[in-house]
Amino acid sequence: MTESSAALTDREFMDALLDLVIPPNASGSLPGAGALGLSPGVALALQADPLLGPIVEAGLQAVRAAARSQHPGGLPGMTPEAGTKLVEAQLSAHPFFMMGLLRYVYPAYYQHPQALIGIGEPPRPPFPEGFDVEPTGAALLEKLQSRRRAG
Amino acid sequence: MLNEPVGVLVIGAGASGAAFAWSIADVGTSVLCLDQGPWMRQQDYPSNGLDWESRGMADYSTSPNVRRLAADYPVNEQDSAISPLMFNAVGGSTILWAAHFPRLTPGDFRTKTEDGVGEDWPIDYQTLEPYFSLNDRMMGVSGLAGDPAYPYHEPPLPPLPLGKTGNMLASGFEKLGWHWWPSDSAILSREYEGRAPCINLGPCLTGCAQGAKASTDITYWPAAQRKGVQLRTGCRVREITVRPDGMADGVLYYDADGELQEQKAEIVVVACNGIGTPRLLLNSKNRHHPDGLANSSGLVGKNLMFHPYAMVTGVFEEPLRGRRGPVGCSFWSHEFYRTDHSRGFVRGYSFEAVRGFGPAQTALWGMVHGLVPWGADHHSAFARTYDHTATLLGITEDLADEANTVTLDPELTDAHGIPAPKITYRLSDNSQKMLSHAVERATEALTAAGAVETAAMPLVREAGWHLMGTARMGHDPKTSVVNERGQAHDVKNLFIVDGSIFVTAGGVNPTSTIQALALYVADSIKKNLATLFDPA
Repeated sequence: MTESSAALTDREFMDALLDLVIPPNASGSLPGAGALGLSPGVALALQADPLLGPIVEAGLQAVRAAARSQHPGGLPGMTPEAGTKLVEAQLSAHPFFMMGLLRYVYPAYYQHPQALIGIGEPPRPPFPEGFDVEPTGAALLEKLQSRRRAG
Repeated sequence: MLNEPVGVLVIGAGASGAAFAWSIADVGTSVLCLDQGPWMRQQDYPSNGLDWESRGMADYSTSPNVRRLAADYPVNEQDSAISPLMFNAVGGSTILWAAHFPRLTPGDFRTKTEDGVGEDWPIDYQTLEPYFSLNDRMMGVSGLAGDPAYPYHEPPLPPLPLGKTGNMLASGFEKLGWHWWPSDSAILSREYEGRAPCINLGPCLTGCAQGAKASTDITYWPAAQRKGVQLRTGCRVREITVRPDGMADGVLYYDADGELQEQKAEIVVVACNGIGTPRLLLNSKNRHHPDGLANSSGLVGKNLMFHPYAMVTGVFEEPLRGRRGPVGCSFWSHEFYRTDHSRGFVRGYSFEAVRGFGPAQTALWGMVHGLVPWGADHHSAFARTYDHTATLLGITEDLADEANTVTLDPELTDAHGIPAPKITYRLSDNSQKMLSHAVERATEALTAAGAVETAAMPLVREAGWHLMGTARMGHDPKTSVVNERGQAHDVKNLFIVDGSIFVTAGGVNPTSTIQALALYVADSIKKNLATLFDPA
């Protein structure tokens, strides 16, 4: 296992990082991405991505090394404020790292039932129940009727 | 292995191949279609699961280079400003399309006469009108009759509801006094021909689990098979073979087990889209056709046209319930469709009103535009944007340019060793001016509708849905690949029925016109069987 892939599969580190990326909200209705247990899935997806995977892994490695140099507990031992500052400091050297990570973290987060409930969506797939949609406004339809080309 | 010869062999089971096969079956001869992809199953579509957005970026991505499924072939797009998109299965790209279903307008068929650009088509709108109507009935089209931007036609089903998003956006167009009209949509607003109506799932672009969105696997193909058309899946055609007299003899193809097969046919019909078709013709070189089949004009693979897309999204204060409903089917506008020289460009574009994004797409879109950050402010920014966005797409007319090409990549191949297509495409100055205009006008319309903030993408790279022009139609064999009946000038028993034969692109989605052309070509063959192979 390479040092960089070790960062990607370091569960404690990844959970801490994902909780910085999407932290829990103040009311507690939306959990942090790390607390939701998304790290293994995100790691697997990145390992299978030949383009973004290496870019993100390099950034993760840099973040983890920097965190370890600043705190004996690494990123998991740091406060959110300190952790955020440290991650931001790495972005100049690894500008696409966070975009690559978010490409997988956001979809994983917003398909989780707890996140869906938290944003006011039903925790179910679109099919088979579907959704209701507001009808076309009557006033708008009237305006169109007056402009219709005759048959 | 040599198979039993057939009367008509259709290559490709997508939008055009399905329509053509269904129609030509009336002749009574044997009809066989080969497609490199499989049959799809509605129970497998992403909207059956919570991970529907993730899968739309993976195995149901619109890009073959992202999906990399067994049915896909790679496309070298490094030298293209726009990424070509497609789906390879029975139904083709209609599996993953939005089903926004405008027709080309009458003026799109005579741009040279009207504006001195491009070429006039050898046929006109009125020639295609009966086939547009037939196709609307076969696909199941919802819409509102009487759009002043078009000759009068009656969609077979009433229009889809605009929803709150569409109502809001339409109010902006009303304030500005701009044309808008509910879209013709190949999505059922009511039960039709045994298919259930739309229940507003939202993610049309990853297949319709309800079967309300028309895709040719559930519209044309069941009807074609009832007429006796055979369809073989998992079959990738390597080349079209020719007889000693230069006429098409059939094809060599790899079957689902990877075995090379030979299939002879009296008529060969190519329906592989604007990239797959020139790829196949260029890979079918032989003694009679050293530069590729049907390529004496040198135009096979040239004049590639996309529709360059501009996208502007508005953020509204009110929640819009926007991700519910058919994502791409709300209304269109032809306000800027015709040439107005004061704008600084020729020809024009349409607007397509699009409903809201799903939650993951909202977060990713917000990231790209700097509106939804990661970190402590993520949730508050997300709450301001999710369910609060609506989008206008500017679909601009691309003018044919011989420098925009599909060629065979000298190195990249598919899983069978067949050369992959290489796309060379540059955005013209005219297109760039048109895109800039579309961004400005879309921003104006969104603001008039009440948007408090807008974010623009002046050119959407991942929007190469519409693949046109690479085997164009015309009277003159020196300046076109097929004649006015879709028949190759050089090979009388070879026909092309997909977007390759477009002469101009218009500024609207092309599938309605592609299918009308396929039905028209089939009808031309049926009416002219006795003289089909006579010299011109």
